[in-house]
Amino acid sequence: MKIAIGPVLYEWGKKGIRDFYRRMADETAADVLYIGEVICSKRNHLTPDEMALLAEELRPSGKEIVFSTLGLVMSGEEQEYIQQVVQQATRLGILFEANDMAGIAMGEGHPMVAGPHITTYNPETLDFLAEVGVRRVVIPVELSQAMIAGLIRQNRARVQVEVFAYGRLPLTFSARCYTARAFHLPKTNCQYKCGDFPDGMVMKTQDGVPFLNINGIQTLSERLCNLVTEVEQLATMGVDMIRLSPQSRDMTAIVQVWQERLAGRMDAAEALARLNEINHQEPFCNGYFHGRAGLEFVAPRPVKPHLTNEAPTSGE
Amino acid sequence: MKKVEILAPAGNLPSLKAAVDNGADAVYFGFGNATNARNFEGLNFTEKEAASGIAYAHARGVKVNVVLNTFPQINDPDIWYRTVDLAARIGADAIILANLALLKYCRDKYPDLPIHLSVQASASNQAAINFYQRHFAIQRVILPRVLTVAEIRDLRQQVQVELEVFAFGGLCVMAEGRCYLSSYVTGVSPNIEGVCSPARAVRFDNSQDKLQTRLNGILIAQYAPDEEAAYPTVCKGRFAANDQIYHVMEEPGSLNILAMLPEVIASGVASLKIEGRQRTKSYVATVTRIMRQAVDAYYADPDRFQAKGSWLKTLNATSEGTTYTLGTYQENWQ
Repeated sequence: MKIAIGPVLYEWGKKGIRDFYRRMADETAADVLYIGEVICSKRNHLTPDEMALLAEELRPSGKEIVFSTLGLVMSGEEQEYIQQVVQQATRLGILFEANDMAGIAMGEGHPMVAGPHITTYNPETLDFLAEVGVRRVVIPVELSQAMIAGLIRQNRARVQVEVFAYGRLPLTFSARCYTARAFHLPKTNCQYKCGDFPDGMVMKTQDGVPFLNINGIQTLSERLCNLVTEVEQLATMGVDMIRLSPQSRDMTAIVQVWQERLAGRMDAAEALARLNEINHQEPFCNGYFHGRAGLEFVAPRPVKPHLTNEAPTSGE
Repeated sequence: MKKVEILAPAGNLPSLKAAVDNGADAVYFGFGNATNARNFEGLNFTEKEAASGIAYAHARGVKVNVVLNTFPQINDPDIWYRTVDLAARIGADAIILANLALLKYCRDKYPDLPIHLSVQASASNQAAINFYQRHFAIQRVILPRVLTVAEIRDLRQQVQVELEVFAFGGLCVMAEGRCYLSSYVTGVSPNIEGVCSPARAVRFDNSQDKLQTRLNGILIAQYAPDEEAAYPTVCKGRFAANDQIYHVMEEPGSLNILAMLPEVIASGVASLKIEGRQRTKSYVATVTRIMRQAVDAYYADPDRFQAKGSWLKTLNATSEGTTYTLGTYQENWQ
């Protein structure tokens, strides 16, 4: 299985984004880097030309570069921007990731990735997407192991399958910017408040439990999804690639753990312990993979006592 | 001038009749299983009820749209395809679909059955809508609740299909079909099981003079004794963010476009959709009747249309939180 670094979901600014990808290229063994704004068109810091330049700069690292595009497309300008990203990807001979059907429409006939926001729930959908140019799908995050395995078994067009394996789960998009709303600002005058929250803004329940994470028009899980204990199952199912979603801190160390784990040099318990440490013992979640509520964490078996990380809110 | 259509919900046969009798131009319903996104117990139609409902509506010149807006599952996909067959067989005027596989199946097998693209397909732009039209010859798109009226008007110029918009009822503020809030908390998904915030995961507790609503154990909101508690969906919950406690995503309340009816109609939409297949027959009757009066009043004198206080009062009484919002249609909502 290959390691993909997903698109940066947060507002890190032009320099922050560039520095991050240079570091991922130079300092990690990741195989694929997804570059491009998925959340908010006001944060399109890199023009399509600049994305292409960055891709050229990163090319000597030998990593595959994929251009990601917006998850919720509404305006004509947004469609134009995607069109230009598709053109640059085509010119460079690389894939681009569609996260809205606008992306699929504009990329039709070009080799593309159907991102996690394209609703690929069944093999017939996979067949159709392959017909219009999709070479890889990132499975929607709510699908269980059984569903993913079923999709792979009936993957007639041999589309590559990528699974979201680490990071805050992208759960929704809205037209409304919840970061701006938290500051009583309209979206049109958001003052880029999201820039103050490099890992999104935590949203707690009224009894103080960290629950969701506000990131502009997107809502994420506050818990990080972590499938590091499920690596053997992912490999057995025939998953081609796992996606690690960028965090503002320790990303190099996170990739390192995953690389050791995929290479068989680190077992599940050790990898989980290491990631728990990096994540300051904050609870992880992996419920979706096990066919349960997404926020739950199903501990690996046999469970070593010091590794239990049970979701306190588990309803089952 | 072709009048805008009033499209009413039918959770069961009595509601369908109430909609027809109170002035709906069209009604929509789904079957009692996971193939539609209102898969609640005691709701929806059997084949026999569907045939009877269609006969009742057609005899009175009212159209019937069948909803199939979830995503076929690997274990038992047949039920979705059989339901498309059923809709075609019983004479539905249109079928509402979201999934690419079902769209392809329906277009190939029933080229004469009009397809309305479900809001669950989350098609909010020209490129996506034209893609669906090119591949599946969709006749209409049901727009997700993410566009302002100005954006809807612009979109109308750019696409060849009819536009259907939500006019009244519950307000999903997320791009539907791509919202995992319910499954994240409860394990039950609108896309898979056709249910958002299932009743079996809901709990109402009284604690220290406060009413708490929980979803699978997660505290969604707490209310003072004099406050009316809303059904606990995550997007209408009251949480803490940025050192404040508030409805972080959206206040509970209904969408009601009456105050903007002239602008919405002038934007060129073909259909005004009333939400609420899970609501009572009397809700359907009331809302449909008032929408009929309002739309007729608009066409009688478009320039002097004004939403009557009595309409708003009656509609507010049916609404969650007895209040309403213009939602995303108003410019400053986003």
